[in-house]
Amino acid sequence: MEHSNKNDSILKIALNLLGACIISGIIIGSLYTATNDIAVAKQEELKTASLQSMVADADEYKEIEGKEEWFAAMKDGQAIAYIVPAESRGYAGAIELLVAVTPDHKVMKYIIVESKETPGLGDKAKEEPFVNQFIGKGADELDPDEAVTKTNEKGKIQSIAGSTITTRAVTKAVYEAVEAVAAFDKGGH
Amino acid sequence: MENWKIFAKGLILENPILVLALSLCPAIAVTSSVMTAITMGLTVTYVITLNNVVVSLIKNFVNPKVRVPIYITSIATIVTIAVLVLKAYAPSLYKELGIYLELVVVFAIILARAEVFASKNSVGRSFLDGFGMGCGFLGAMVIIGAIREVLGNGTFLGFSVFGQAYDPALIMILPPGGFILIGYLVALFKMINDSREKRQRIRGESA
Repeated sequence: MEHSNKNDSILKIALNLLGACIISGIIIGSLYTATNDIAVAKQEELKTASLQSMVADADEYKEIEGKEEWFAAMKDGQAIAYIVPAESRGYAGAIELLVAVTPDHKVMKYIIVESKETPGLGDKAKEEPFVNQFIGKGADELDPDEAVTKTNEKGKIQSIAGSTITTRAVTKAVYEAVEAVAAFDKGGH
Repeated sequence: MENWKIFAKGLILENPILVLALSLCPAIAVTSSVMTAITMGLTVTYVITLNNVVVSLIKNFVNPKVRVPIYITSIATIVTIAVLVLKAYAPSLYKELGIYLELVVVFAIILARAEVFASKNSVGRSFLDGFGMGCGFLGAMVIIGAIREVLGNGTFLGFSVFGQAYDPALIMILPPGGFILIGYLVALFKMINDSREKRQRIRGESA
């Protein structure tokens, strides 16, 4: 054996591991303290930026009371859109979206906040040609059982080649978001 | 010359993916587009280079019986540093990398270089070895990613290559296409290495 016996005692081995973990802990701990505030601030910034990318011409985003993470995009005191979160199960875990809905309950835009869909296939759902299919559509045109087609049919959602599950999931989430806003409007006013 | 050899062996002669056949999982999982392949390649290059340096620095303090857990701790620390820094200064890039960044911790190639090379060599040589292996990994990822994206999606880095008329071969983006392609590339690298060996033998005999 190349190493001597005194290095083999359980205590020495345990101390060795303990030392490695303590050093690692100190490094990570101090870095976390140093960067956490910045990370939180960036997170906020990113959120505002994503709201802005949804409804660009609003001058204020008001949180809607009683609904978590719901925002009303205001312009000159008028709500021009509601931005609401939506979620559904995709091909690889949950897909989280933000959907902007106009006051007359049509889709204005959506963005995908979080998804693990296959790069190059399912994650095309966040790209423009696909997203544009939803713009201006109301809940009646987005029924997840009927609206999705594989062919190029007018007025329907053409699914992404090879990613029917993702397409259906996104359609369902957007549909539910529109429905939720419609229900909220009915109850709220 | 010797330093160059340590660096360059990772590129073709001992390419981590296509010759050593280590870390095939990311080579298929994140190569369906060039962009993700590049990001993954750069991340691995960073982790493997830094980890080789750290392992080489601490090699005399590590008890051989617990070397693997300690190497893993070192890799995990380096990856966590990257996560924290990215979260604070480039959150959108962090989001883009998703779960793959954390998965780097368990990549076989990183532990393999720590065990095979860095634990036995000086800091400088370990740095070159890690950097060379990282570049070889990056290169292989980009080759695989480029072929898959061009054939399977008709684009390169998101720009259309063949125009609208091209009907993409969808299988190239799916995992089976990745497997088939890697098989061909492994064969190609084997041919390159074999002919190089033959040339060297002939040169050796004539001398």
